[in-house]
Amino acid sequence: MSVRVSDEMTKVRARAKRRLLIKRALTYLTAIVLSLWILLPIWLIASMALTTPEAMRNFPKGVLPFIPFSLDTMRFFLEARGIIPGLINSVVVALITLALSTLIAAPAGYALSRYVFRGHNAFRLSILAVRAFPVVILSIPLAVTFINLGMFDKVSSLALMHTALTLPTTVLVIGSVFASIPYELEEAAQVFGCTAFQAFRRVVLPLVLPGIAAAALFTFVMSWNEVFAATVLTVQNRTLPAQVLVSLREAPDAYKFAGGFFMLIPSVIFIMIIRKYLFNMWGQSSK
Amino acid sequence: MSIQPLRTPKRRTKTQWAPYLLISPALLYLLVFFAWPMTQAIRLAIWEEQSLLSLRIAPGEENEAGALEQGTRIAVLDRSNVPLAPGEADGGPALLDVWFFVEGETPGGGMIQGWAPESRIRVREADASGVPVRGTIRPRLGSVAGQHTAVHASPDERSEVVGEFASRTEVAIARQKSLEVWFLIEGVRDEQRFSGWAPSRRLQIYGDGATGRVDSGDTGRFTLLHIQRMLNDRFFRSALGTTFLLMLLIIPVQLVLAIVMALVIQARLKFNLLFLAIFAIPLAASDLAVGIVWSSIFTQNGYLNSILYSLGLIESPQAYLTAATRHWILVAVWIAEVWRATSLVMVIVVSGLQAISQEVLEAAELFGATLWQRVRYVILPLLKPSLQVALILRTILALQVFAVVIALGGGDVVTVLANETYRQYYALRNMNTAAAYSGLILLLSMISAGIYLRTVRGQEEAVS
Repeated sequence: MSVRVSDEMTKVRARAKRRLLIKRALTYLTAIVLSLWILLPIWLIASMALTTPEAMRNFPKGVLPFIPFSLDTMRFFLEARGIIPGLINSVVVALITLALSTLIAAPAGYALSRYVFRGHNAFRLSILAVRAFPVVILSIPLAVTFINLGMFDKVSSLALMHTALTLPTTVLVIGSVFASIPYELEEAAQVFGCTAFQAFRRVVLPLVLPGIAAAALFTFVMSWNEVFAATVLTVQNRTLPAQVLVSLREAPDAYKFAGGFFMLIPSVIFIMIIRKYLFNMWGQSSK
Repeated sequence: MSIQPLRTPKRRTKTQWAPYLLISPALLYLLVFFAWPMTQAIRLAIWEEQSLLSLRIAPGEENEAGALEQGTRIAVLDRSNVPLAPGEADGGPALLDVWFFVEGETPGGGMIQGWAPESRIRVREADASGVPVRGTIRPRLGSVAGQHTAVHASPDERSEVVGEFASRTEVAIARQKSLEVWFLIEGVRDEQRFSGWAPSRRLQIYGDGATGRVDSGDTGRFTLLHIQRMLNDRFFRSALGTTFLLMLLIIPVQLVLAIVMALVIQARLKFNLLFLAIFAIPLAASDLAVGIVWSSIFTQNGYLNSILYSLGLIESPQAYLTAATRHWILVAVWIAEVWRATSLVMVIVVSGLQAISQEVLEAAELFGATLWQRVRYVILPLLKPSLQVALILRTILALQVFAVVIALGGGDVVTVLANETYRQYYALRNMNTAAAYSGLILLLSMISAGIYLRTVRGQEEAVS
């Protein structure tokens, strides 16, 4: 009798175990399929860009990419007209945006996370609201204004526009970074004899610096990626995406695919660096 | 002795200036670069600059005698002049009357002083800075030959005549005055006849001197012209329709895919953080780059054709991204946008899932709920707030779809609202219609954002 019961028990347990195993395997399978869905296109464009322009025209394309491996296509792209100046402009715009946006957003983020003040909620909600607003709306009137003020087609004007674009996100991200450092730490430092400023400088700052760096990096990437305002607000001083966009129609495939790959690289690197802070960046928009 | 509270409050609750000081740069910046351009966009879209010219009851007067539209044909009835007001230089080039205050000998022998128009005096001598100091009276020709030149008490043809100079009289020029010519004009607006005075810089007078047209107005007015032009634009319907169609196609697929991704992340596999990072890569990818990535797959000798050909499914490479295959461009844009923007939804859903207590999910599993039952009856209802936020954020972002469409379809066969804004601005140089398009996008975004904020606020009230 007892033998039979334990027999049944092992059977049930084995079945449950098997089911758990199958479930686990299925989850892994889904994860791998989804990863392939994301990675495959990146792999394909990489193999397009890292081969000779002749191999790029081959049909059908080989199962194994990168054959022959060559940097000719990339060189062709980088030597095309306006690409190197565009690259420089892009970096300059992104750096100005990064500096300006972080400088303006950091105090606001700190205030949002540390103080309760009248209008706190209104400020936060308006930041939430403007973050979602399309750049399309702002570009046209700003272009008209910049033309009137003689600021049109300048790298610095575009950086001002990009700062407006990234500012709401940067404020929210920096706010959430500060919020993750308990205020008690600051208080404890003050109890042990620090002034308020020293407490901030010695205790809080080292803790939030990586998070602020991540936010700044994100600002850089947003500016690096932005194409609509860049195309509308510049004529001679195009940024890289703007330059690629306007020459897309006449450009040969080699230019196009190498350009696409080139613009994609920073984003992949960026995500790998900041993956710890992903939820600071976007997760809190539901709160 | 008062009793101290045991716990010090976590946040400083005393009203102070510090937070306002800290947020003021950000607030100011957003006002200048967000709020102001937005009002300007609306202004550009519905306001017609310089469309009405107000007519004055007398030259230089403020009182209005009516108004004429820009471009109206006018009859010129009279002319006069008034001192040129500084800072009123907008409009076209002003017709100027220059008068000299001169002193010289009359034919009778006495010395007189008075104003004479520049046209009657030939300048003979000017000082170092070019200001005329000496001249002679021009001889009259034709039917009025031999007549004397009148000298006026003030720089106006109709003012009192104080004396006369004979031709070639030498005069000293004491000072000069520039006057703007005003015309008494008459024109028709709304089948009603208006007449009044207007400055020459706003008018274009034809060669006969008796007719002309209103060149530019001095006041703007509300107009539906630009909006009408947008509505009648041949790309408008297609752009609006495609934008909505893409929204309908993209968002549901994204939500499902994002929930699946979030559930995978929630399962806490090995390499969990790696999977998360991979799923999040498109979050940082530029939309232009993503468009190009997918065009490498859909292009004629691209990977899709290569794979289909190798499998023997097609005989020769198919063309997908051409004007004749509009539906394929749509499919390509759809897939590219799903690939690109699902990450954002995924991150929001994952953080929403993490807020759901693990016990609830385990309890559901213990009671034998299948995966579908758990998703349908436990996870989805608890995830509703996050999903709403993701949905609205995605709706607003879907209005921005631009570079993907250009990269995959060139922007003509398949077009969206953002692309039309760009076309009106860049190719057609039509700022006002471009502003009308951005106004439409603003309106649609505001509706979405309004719902978004209500949702967020509703959530906060539910929590507190």
